[in-house]
Amino acid sequence: MKFVSLCIAFIGCSFLSTAQTAEEVIEKYLKTLGGIEKINSISSMEMKAKVDYGGMTIPVEMITLRDGRTLTKITFQGQEMIQGAFDGTTSWGTNFMTMKPEKNDAETTENVKRTAGVDFMTPLMDYKTKGYTVEMLPNETIEGTECLKMKVTKKAQLVEGQDVPNVEFYYFDKENYVPIVVEAEIPSGQMKGQISQTVFSDYQEVNGIYFAFSMTQKIKDGQGQTIVFDSIELNKKYEDAIFKFPGE
Amino acid sequence: MKKTLSFLSLSCILFSLHAQESVALQGKELFGDLKARQIGPALMSGRVSDIEGHPSNSRVIYIGTAGGGVWKSQDGGVQFYSIFDDQPQSIGAVAVDPSDPDNTVWVGTGEVWTRNSVSVGNGIYRTTDGGKNWSHLGLEKTERIAAVEVHPKDKNTVYVAALGALWGDSEDRGVYKTTDGGKSWNKILYVNTGTGCSDLVMDPNDPNVLYAAFWEFRRTAWSFNSGGLNSSLYKSSDGGKTWNKIQNGFPQGKLGRIAVTVAPSNSKILYAVVEAEKAEQKGLYRSDDAGATWKHLNSDFELTVRPFYFSRIVVDPLDPETVVKAGLSGSISHDGGKTFKGLGFMHSDIHDIWFDVKDSDRMLVATDGGLYRSLNGGTTMEIVENLPICMFYHVSLDNQTPYNIYGGLQDNGSWFGPSASPGGIEARDWESIGMGDGFRVYPHPTNPKIMYSEMQGAEAVWRYDIEKKQTKIVKPFPVQGDPKLRFNWNAAISTSKHAPDRLYIGSQFLHRSDDMGNNWTKISPDLTTNDPAKQNQVESGGLSADNSGAENHCTIFSIAESPLDQNLLWIGTDDGNVQLTKDGGKSWSNLTANLKGIPAKTWCYHIEPSSFEKGTAYAIFDGHTRNDKNAYVFKTADFGATWTSIATSEIIGFARNIQEDLKNPNILYLGTEFGLFVTIDGGKSWSKFTNGVPAAAVHYIEQHPKTNDLILGTHGRGIIIIDDISPLRELTPEVMAKPLHFFASKPFEMNESSTFGGSSSETQFVGSNPSSAAKITYYLSKRHTFGKMTLDIYDDKDNWINTIAPGKQKGINIVEWGYNSMAPKVASGKTVDGAAMFAPRVPAGKYKVVITKGSEKFETWIELKYPEKTVFTLEERKMQQETVKTLYTMTEELAYMVYEIDELLAHSDKVMKENTSLKKHATKLNADLNKLKDVLVITKGDNYVGAGEKQLREKIGDLYSTIGSYYGAPSQSQLETLKMLQSKLNEGRTNFKAIKDQQVTKYKSATEKAGIKYIELKSFEEFVKKN
Repeated sequence: MKFVSLCIAFIGCSFLSTAQTAEEVIEKYLKTLGGIEKINSISSMEMKAKVDYGGMTIPVEMITLRDGRTLTKITFQGQEMIQGAFDGTTSWGTNFMTMKPEKNDAETTENVKRTAGVDFMTPLMDYKTKGYTVEMLPNETIEGTECLKMKVTKKAQLVEGQDVPNVEFYYFDKENYVPIVVEAEIPSGQMKGQISQTVFSDYQEVNGIYFAFSMTQKIKDGQGQTIVFDSIELNKKYEDAIFKFPGE
Repeated sequence: MKKTLSFLSLSCILFSLHAQESVALQGKELFGDLKARQIGPALMSGRVSDIEGHPSNSRVIYIGTAGGGVWKSQDGGVQFYSIFDDQPQSIGAVAVDPSDPDNTVWVGTGEVWTRNSVSVGNGIYRTTDGGKNWSHLGLEKTERIAAVEVHPKDKNTVYVAALGALWGDSEDRGVYKTTDGGKSWNKILYVNTGTGCSDLVMDPNDPNVLYAAFWEFRRTAWSFNSGGLNSSLYKSSDGGKTWNKIQNGFPQGKLGRIAVTVAPSNSKILYAVVEAEKAEQKGLYRSDDAGATWKHLNSDFELTVRPFYFSRIVVDPLDPETVVKAGLSGSISHDGGKTFKGLGFMHSDIHDIWFDVKDSDRMLVATDGGLYRSLNGGTTMEIVENLPICMFYHVSLDNQTPYNIYGGLQDNGSWFGPSASPGGIEARDWESIGMGDGFRVYPHPTNPKIMYSEMQGAEAVWRYDIEKKQTKIVKPFPVQGDPKLRFNWNAAISTSKHAPDRLYIGSQFLHRSDDMGNNWTKISPDLTTNDPAKQNQVESGGLSADNSGAENHCTIFSIAESPLDQNLLWIGTDDGNVQLTKDGGKSWSNLTANLKGIPAKTWCYHIEPSSFEKGTAYAIFDGHTRNDKNAYVFKTADFGATWTSIATSEIIGFARNIQEDLKNPNILYLGTEFGLFVTIDGGKSWSKFTNGVPAAAVHYIEQHPKTNDLILGTHGRGIIIIDDISPLRELTPEVMAKPLHFFASKPFEMNESSTFGGSSSETQFVGSNPSSAAKITYYLSKRHTFGKMTLDIYDDKDNWINTIAPGKQKGINIVEWGYNSMAPKVASGKTVDGAAMFAPRVPAGKYKVVITKGSEKFETWIELKYPEKTVFTLEERKMQQETVKTLYTMTEELAYMVYEIDELLAHSDKVMKENTSLKKHATKLNADLNKLKDVLVITKGDNYVGAGEKQLREKIGDLYSTIGSYYGAPSQSQLETLKMLQSKLNEGRTNFKAIKDQQVTKYKSATEKAGIKYIELKSFEEFVKKN
């Protein structure tokens, strides 16, 4: 009888070990990254990469501050172009034709405002305080790896004037609790309704915190564009002016 | 304790053994980058079975299809995308939850338009996130679901109309209700094992009121019956607790299929379409008292035609007097059903109609040939051009480059189209080569101008000369003494691998022609069971006669000539016989009795003779028309004397087709009703292939001998190609145990064809092309997540060429390299010089691939070769490569010169501002450098039409990319331009040198004297370094 009970306990444990709450998964993930304290100590991130564009190497620099200000700088044949910039009020970028700064449309800016700062490092930090909800879904195999799948519902986003749910699906590698893929539905445009995937790998440590140094953006089941970071620097100070919309 | 440990150890051992054995079989951990491309086409589209709109947002529309799953539009029906790939693709009903319409949608699987070729479902599904994730919520055995009705205020209360099994008795039919969101179901209305619920409608204004139509029906492989005394219409006014028949005004006697609906704007008004015994009593009935009494209004053709296929009636949500009936062409009434007129011109066979809830002029119509839009109340129609849901019965291939794919479609004729086309495979790339329902289509094995196609029941078998645009009907006719020839709806045809002009056709006899169908010889006796009880199709249909040929039976269905011996022919019949001749038809052996473990008379759907051993063949049997959904996959290695089942429980769905790999007999590809399955161990274990292959019915599989592509003809998702499956041939447990294994590759032919093409708009489906890049293919035993992983390419002299992002997933990774080295470093200017961004091609040769994974390095070699059908000599290529190299160097030298100038300009700018004593010197230097720079690069304007005049950088760039993108020798005039540009560059160099000699030396010394830090220039090598 004892033997049978032990067997049942053994089998039971193996089932229990697979059923993890979203909270436990997030806790393990943040711990793997380096811990909440370390993550909270970061005030800025500067990520430098060379993007391969059919044999052409394009240097790209991304700066993000904890307060939500951000920019991506592309340097190309002596030209500097800013994309995805946000100065706290205005989101903007350089028009490739005129090389002049232009404001993004009001809806884009509103959506940037809704996530700016609050998703610094990861949307899963303090998700409850931010009003996000998380829910575990059945495990799925992606990238050939069995993953814990989590649905993360963030603040609603504005799409064609309507508030619609802003949902992301995280696939955590069961072995190490880092996300290897994040999926979301493309909310607007010609690809509306298609699923976009960001694939993460090459996690490496910077000042005691793990960052994915390789990110591939793609449509589900399609070909992707990979960006590999050469360096990630933390807690640098920046002039306010670099984020500021310079005017038309 | 000892016992416990032993148990634990044993468990671990068993678990690891299981893991080891099954590792090869975990498709999602194995196939990786072996991905399918769906090439449609969409120009003829396929059968749409149901349309469902969002109750308030008319931009959101769902369609259910006969074999292509569920598609969603969020732009009012302009573009659709698939949201139901992993579930059965045969859809009965889609329902949007009225209380959570943005997120919750129910799908009942199993189409209810019960034609002979209809597929099956496996119950009900629900999404709570608009279609991104689905949960299976039971009713697995219902086979087909006619309607789903969700309570408007209680999302957990749902009613389901289960039509149930088509091919046999079943208790899993009737009306089901859940009150806990699908966790449990109660059957609240049931008639008997042969009568299912064919329609269910909830009063939009009172969710307790439900109307349910029940239909007595049955199909066999040789007959169809619609109608009986059990067909009835019921009403419940208490949420399904009690039901009453409401047929006051209906005909007496047997009834057939009934469609029912309630006018959304007036719950008293109901319409029903009734199949009855007498012709004058069939058709449209109307009730103005919520079903208490009915009045017969109309027996027009469109209202009575083929009730099993068209029993749907829809009322305009805003006007109870406007009603549309599905039918052969569809018809609409604006006077409450008294009179009808036809809908606009579109594909025939209408199954459902949707009205915009806010604007009834805007309609969608579901047909056998796709979905149509109307903006004027159904008067004129336009097809939705991006629904690749066509329903192939068969595919075949030719040997052209790129190869063409041939096939026939349900109600959409026969076609062929290319496997690749400049700009993608567009609608215009497909050519029609047959009418009616299309089935088997073959190209002549050696003459690319000749092809064969057929229509249903071999009513016509065409030989088509595509060059002369001539068709000839070449079907065999009976001769003196012959009985009536029986051809299957999907009649078996085959060409020969041994005799190019040979053609086989199967009736109950095997017919052979050796002159492309002009003359025929009967080379067999009746090979079927010739059961007279199964040959009475004239009485098929039940209350509505339906003798279309779809039920023809006791016919040959599969003709398989051995690729190793032209006299060895295997025959499979739809009534379960397997016959063999070894002497070209002189004598026949009936092998049927040798098959064990399969019910007698099970349809032999396909025989695949081996390419390796004459005595080996595979036979697929499909029992679903006998209500048997098991997969039957058999192998013989002794000419059919004995057969072994190679089906395992891993196979989902009944099987239809098998393809033996052309190089490795242990690899088999199996098409079932729910997708593609692959074995790499001769059938010991099977793995589902899901990378881009939905759970669609795979009716036919072919493999191309040159490309190793696998081509699937699906009955609902068009043609699907998995490019080059050769890596599977190398997979062994040893390979999969290695951390990284490079697969061998043949030399890659460097594609040099034009990239022009592609004129489709964003509303038209375009099938993707195969990649023409070189492929570095490797297996990773574990996904790479932590640490750095890179992939570098070197030439045979170990010079670094390129770095490419490697794949990191567990399983097969395919990394593509477009044969390019790195683009040159380009001079800075005011504008971007697109031409100079060109990355030149490497010459043909051997290249080393190095993957670095942490401290480990893995190496392999790949080879590139020039196209065999090239027009360029090696000498011409060399000349081109050397010229490109010269221009590349010129681009970088100019870039370095401009870099030096820019550094000097920046320095002198600063000095001009900050140092008065050196200002004059700096100003002159600055001005002279700017003057020089003005002729080297564009220094003014923008990147569009405001660009400045092209200067040296842009002129070199133009010539560089022009010569670089053509692989033959540069022309004389191009070489003259090169000379001119070299001279201009030299002139620039001379002028810069003069400035340096005359001014920069002094400037440097003066600034250093003044304590100003001078410029620290990078060396040329450092400046142009790319890795």
